[in-house]
Amino acid sequence: MTTVRLFAELKLRLLAGNLRGDLARKLGFVFTLVMAAFLAALGFFLMSLVRLAQPEIAADIVIVVFTLFLVSWMIVPLLAFGLDDTLDPARLALFPLPTARLAVGMFTASATGVWPAATLIVTAGALAGLASGAGGILIGVPAVLLQFALCLVASRLVTTSLSSALRTRRGRDVLAVAAIGAVLLFQLPNLLINSDLGDPLSLLHGTAAVLRWTPSGMAAHAIADGGLVGVAELAVVALVVVAAAWLWIKALSRALVTPDVSNEAATVRRDSGLVDRIVPDGPLAAVVTKELKYIRREPRYRVVWFTAVVVTAVLAISFGRGDGPSGPGVPIMLTAVGGLMVSLQMCNAFGIDGRSLWMNAVAIGSERGLSVDLAGRHLANALVAAPMLVAIAVVTGVLTGSPGAIVWAVFAGLGALGIGFGVGAVTSVVIPYTIPERLNAFTGAAPGQGGQAFASSMGAMVGISLLTLPFIVPMLFGLLWVCALAPFYGLAAEVLGRRLGARIGFARMPELLAAVSKPA
Amino acid sequence: MKDAVRTSGLFKRYGPQIAVAGVDLVVPAGSFAGLVGPNGAGKTTTLSMITGLLRPDGGHAEIDGFHVWRDPVAVKARIGVLPEGLRLFERLSGRELLLYNGRLRGIPKAEVERRATDLLQLMDLAGAADKLVVDYSTGMRKKIGLAAALLHNPSVLFLDEPFEGVDPVSANTLTEVLRAFTASGSTVIFSSHVMDLVERLCDWVSVMNGGHIVAQGPLERVRDGRSLNQAFLELVGGPQTGGGTGLTWLGQRDTP
Repeated sequence: MTTVRLFAELKLRLLAGNLRGDLARKLGFVFTLVMAAFLAALGFFLMSLVRLAQPEIAADIVIVVFTLFLVSWMIVPLLAFGLDDTLDPARLALFPLPTARLAVGMFTASATGVWPAATLIVTAGALAGLASGAGGILIGVPAVLLQFALCLVASRLVTTSLSSALRTRRGRDVLAVAAIGAVLLFQLPNLLINSDLGDPLSLLHGTAAVLRWTPSGMAAHAIADGGLVGVAELAVVALVVVAAAWLWIKALSRALVTPDVSNEAATVRRDSGLVDRIVPDGPLAAVVTKELKYIRREPRYRVVWFTAVVVTAVLAISFGRGDGPSGPGVPIMLTAVGGLMVSLQMCNAFGIDGRSLWMNAVAIGSERGLSVDLAGRHLANALVAAPMLVAIAVVTGVLTGSPGAIVWAVFAGLGALGIGFGVGAVTSVVIPYTIPERLNAFTGAAPGQGGQAFASSMGAMVGISLLTLPFIVPMLFGLLWVCALAPFYGLAAEVLGRRLGARIGFARMPELLAAVSKPA
Repeated sequence: MKDAVRTSGLFKRYGPQIAVAGVDLVVPAGSFAGLVGPNGAGKTTTLSMITGLLRPDGGHAEIDGFHVWRDPVAVKARIGVLPEGLRLFERLSGRELLLYNGRLRGIPKAEVERRATDLLQLMDLAGAADKLVVDYSTGMRKKIGLAAALLHNPSVLFLDEPFEGVDPVSANTLTEVLRAFTASGSTVIFSSHVMDLVERLCDWVSVMNGGHIVAQGPLERVRDGRSLNQAFLELVGGPQTGGGTGLTWLGQRDTP
């Protein structure tokens, strides 16, 4: 019992210590607290509303919800690894604790917190929504507690068995990209429901019929059943919890004595690449080759490129299916949006360089040098973007049945790319901010720089909108041929923006350096 | 002899805290100079301001007679820098990092490749040349950082804590490279708080404390017959007690 209290206090102290002296974090925590309370209340309310549905449907809903909870508990802490000081067992390795006590303690620490409490409340909502009669309540209470324990233990089992992999650079690289995959995974039900997969009720019933035999499904079914079958199911769930806990303790004692897996250093090929042979030797070629390598190797670049491609693809598919507006304007618009998505990555061009930017700062001695640096970054991104824009133009042109617009669409996309680069060159030096090592789905800036990130993207949006007006207006009147001018206009915007950016940026190089070197 | 580095009244404040309070640093050309001082003395801030990475709030700095903030082209071509913390372009291999650095400074590719191969060999990094910098150990990072700083053949080299966290073998490599570099008439300025090392390597010492230079000159004059460690402690006014107060429980064992 003392262990339980000790670890609960430790966790609360760690939570409090994280907040000390930092207003932004305090506000963030208050926001989290409000969100969690709101979601817990809403969740409880929705779960109790299930009572209004027919009993079978109600049971199906709870089965699906319980399983979703279990899966989220297994995935989300993985993506957030490093945020919770009690999550990493290696931090406790030096304390003279027997494994069993450590396990009890870690379990307590996992159960203490805002989100576990919210989970417990929502899970308990199933009692209000599903339990019928005294038997239902009698079985329901342990079922809810078991489901809660199952979530915690399964979550711990996953993080502990992967913890040594997570501490390597490679593991974190993979996770950074996996975070985007998880966000998409949560979007999947949305897309499925929106598409015509058939009757949502039968879909729900089919899913529940399968999930019913998972441990979380059994817990949910036991509440609805409320009889002997329910008791048997609870016994099975309890066995699963105990087995998972046992596996977790085994994994824990192994993790404590196994040293960190050393980073297997990756060897890269030594060829300089095709582009380097075409671009004349000099600083420009150096920047282009470096930037192309970064686009390929840096997880944060992979994430933003992947996002750009996926967003454009989703837009293209949903418009291309024909339920939206059609005509030659659609491929032109979509390709231009694709160009903008790519160029928006360059709105904080120095953010990913971060603290390594000093290397450029000590080498670049003139405004021209900075202009060449920006030009290299733009060229590298354009080299990757151009084939992508052509692909978007061709696909959307064919899908919307206006192949004649493909050429105009490519021109428009290139123009948009140039305009975005030009505006981005200015925002990069006027409102620079640090991009943290670990991207998550919610912020793209270091703590305390959210305002800058917002101002930067808003500024870029406004600038781009103003600069694209001369094209949007004639196109609204059906004058598509103006697109032929777009690449030249875009190039002019890029050159002017880059010159302006270099002039401003070179004068405030130390400030730029400080802004992108914030600890994150 | 002309001065490689000369600053006057260099000043920097962060909010209410004054980090550097008017530093007049002088380093003669061709010397191996140590900048020593306790933590928080303002060594890193001073070096950042001299190398143009941090804008001073007052005063000015000259390198080889060129004004750091008014003549950046001339200054940046003459200096090599190895800052504290040592964040490099992590996703390049050691060789790619050197190539990028040299070519960004406008050196032709063939020449950069030749120099990079020499430097990698010299730093004992040839085996790791094609591994990503993100996977390098501290010693390897310092060595590749020094190689990048030497690549364009600077006349003044600024190193912030180059030996911190470096194993003895790598440290030996670093000192030998630096000795050869100063022997050719170039200047090295490095910050450190390892007095033995400064005493062994340097012929010129500047001692900083609380944002000021408290002593500066040839090593022999600064230490004035004492060991540098003793001289340093007297200059910065550290505690002179021989221990013994408090901590009476430390080292006591219960007899069974």
